[in-house]
Amino acid sequence: MPKIVQVGPYRPQLVEPERFELLVENDKILDVNIELGYVHRGIEKLFTTKTYMQNLALAERICGICSGVHTLCYAQTVEGVMNMEVPDRARYLRCIYMELERLHSHYLWFGVLAHSLHEHNAFLKIMSEREQVQDLLEYLTGNRMNYLINTIGGVRRDITPEKAEKIRKILKNLRNLSNYLLSLLDDNGEFTKKTKGIGILPKGKALLLGAVGPTLRGSGIKSDVRKDDPYAAYGELDFEVITEKDGDVWAKSVVRAKETVESMKIIEQALDNLPKGEIAAELGEPSEKEEFGRAEAPRGELVYYIKSNGTNIPERVKVRTPSFANDFTLIEMLRGDLLQNARLIIESIDPCFACTDRVTIVDVKTGKKRKVELK
Amino acid sequence: MSKKKVSIYRFMSAGCNGCDVQILECLVPRYKLAELGVEVVFTPEEANVLAITGGINIKGIEALKEAYKKLREPKLVIAVGNCAVSKGIFDKGYPMVGPPDQIVPVNFYVPGCPPRPQAIVSAIAKVLGESLEEKEDYWNSPEGFRGKHEFDSEKCIGCGACAQVCSSEAIEILEDNGKRLIKINYGKCTFCALCQDECPTQALKLTREYHLLTDNRSLTNVTNNVELFRCASCGTYFIPSRQIEWAVERIIEKVNLYKEFRLDLKNAMEICQNCRKEIDNIRKAKKLLSQLSLKVRSTN
Repeated sequence: MPKIVQVGPYRPQLVEPERFELLVENDKILDVNIELGYVHRGIEKLFTTKTYMQNLALAERICGICSGVHTLCYAQTVEGVMNMEVPDRARYLRCIYMELERLHSHYLWFGVLAHSLHEHNAFLKIMSEREQVQDLLEYLTGNRMNYLINTIGGVRRDITPEKAEKIRKILKNLRNLSNYLLSLLDDNGEFTKKTKGIGILPKGKALLLGAVGPTLRGSGIKSDVRKDDPYAAYGELDFEVITEKDGDVWAKSVVRAKETVESMKIIEQALDNLPKGEIAAELGEPSEKEEFGRAEAPRGELVYYIKSNGTNIPERVKVRTPSFANDFTLIEMLRGDLLQNARLIIESIDPCFACTDRVTIVDVKTGKKRKVELK
Repeated sequence: MSKKKVSIYRFMSAGCNGCDVQILECLVPRYKLAELGVEVVFTPEEANVLAITGGINIKGIEALKEAYKKLREPKLVIAVGNCAVSKGIFDKGYPMVGPPDQIVPVNFYVPGCPPRPQAIVSAIAKVLGESLEEKEDYWNSPEGFRGKHEFDSEKCIGCGACAQVCSSEAIEILEDNGKRLIKINYGKCTFCALCQDECPTQALKLTREYHLLTDNRSLTNVTNNVELFRCASCGTYFIPSRQIEWAVERIIEKVNLYKEFRLDLKNAMEICQNCRKEIDNIRKAKKLLSQLSLKVRSTN
């Protein structure tokens, strides 16, 4: 007789509130029901009440972890609306800041993974080392998270030679952390046996379900907005798109661990080739048009759509976050797996529900909630 | 090492989860949370302290009440981050029902967006009455950190540009009895520093101060007072006196030709917009000017 097991919303198994209804028989997951909306804040409506500049701060607060790339993607889209050119130096600086963000986001994910695998020492080591990136971001931008470093037309703070030196120094230390992560995932690594063969997402299904980012790359598909549709200075920098073919939690972990090394490569190249000049262009005037922009967030492809009516307030802003695209792959991954692995699988896509929760509709009058139901 | 006496349960609803991650980062040994006898637990039943992040939406309200009910004595509640203090930038969002203190009693507030782990740990230490040594370098905020605001009352002209650009409507302009009050609520601020960038006289600055713990969220304000000017014609207060002087100087700076008309420029600006609107023909303009010259003469 199958029973229903609830994971979340406010439960220890998850970092963030979200409810998963698992239909379980003999510890085997038969079906999954995802309920969103615990972090819904009505952001897309709020976008249409603030000016383009003020919306930067709002876009950033869609998600605190990948906050920088939200402002970048938003700013790029608005630059399209305002027909602006971004100075070369700003394009390179954007790459540096965004790759630092990818580092802290991926390391955080490894911290959470270690926590789920009950590897307490690894958790403390990863989180302690990760503080270096956070301190660096705070030193460069003025805040540990929600740094508001990207602005419409460029960036807000420059990187002086002194700051560049500090970045290089910290990157050198972080190489050790990335090597440590890779050692945890090699053939005899402590993480390997606990993650191998769990939560498999086959290549075909990953494409069918519209997975993005490391979740998709972990299933063997070479897809990265930085390469496919280069923005900022990514077209001029040399880096690899990491893929693994297994599609399990292990493959996704390896993709992320190797990506941290690639990020360091990008930052160092950008620092070496930093062009001289302005860091931000003068603000333009919004023209009456629709614009579409995308960027590669730490979790995958992030999409912004903005409709402008020529005023200083956007008429419509639509955001498609990577976690929303990846959420539905969970159903495929969870089905047929063991209940004890549920938490690990859910965390393997690096779900950021703060990102996702702008989409569930709640009817205030009747109290009825429209669930994202999947059969 | 003291024995464990405080167990914190994290509750997050309708925030960006930045603060949530900051609480997680507090577990890093360098912040000495364990030395204070504090642990983070994963069920409300085990906890005696509730750390709320996020502004609480319709879906979170029942769960929050439930978590508070299950909390062990002394049921201490700390609101971490500006969403939990005042809903922050999401204040006008339609699904928002918070801030949390409208739903459960909240004892302490830690403003910040997000507050640094250092701020959270030192706030917890303060609440517990424990002393915490903060001598290492990372306890200081770095140069360029965006913390609590500070006015230079000498420089502020009271123009209100900061309130116009504020991304989270945290800056209020209140006028009363010939005075204009500029009130920055750092319990609602996003610390984006757009106000600092926009201030025409560089009177507003975000300092490196980050210890913002309070037990009363109506006190999370930084204010500045400026004198208002009475309209030379009708006598109502309409603009800060300093703003007139500042504007005259800027005009002369731009167009040097106006240098000799300094007094005329100033006189022209001393008439409020309502009085100006009434001037629709030359007769009325003459009348107004004669009134003003009479006033000038009588005051001389």
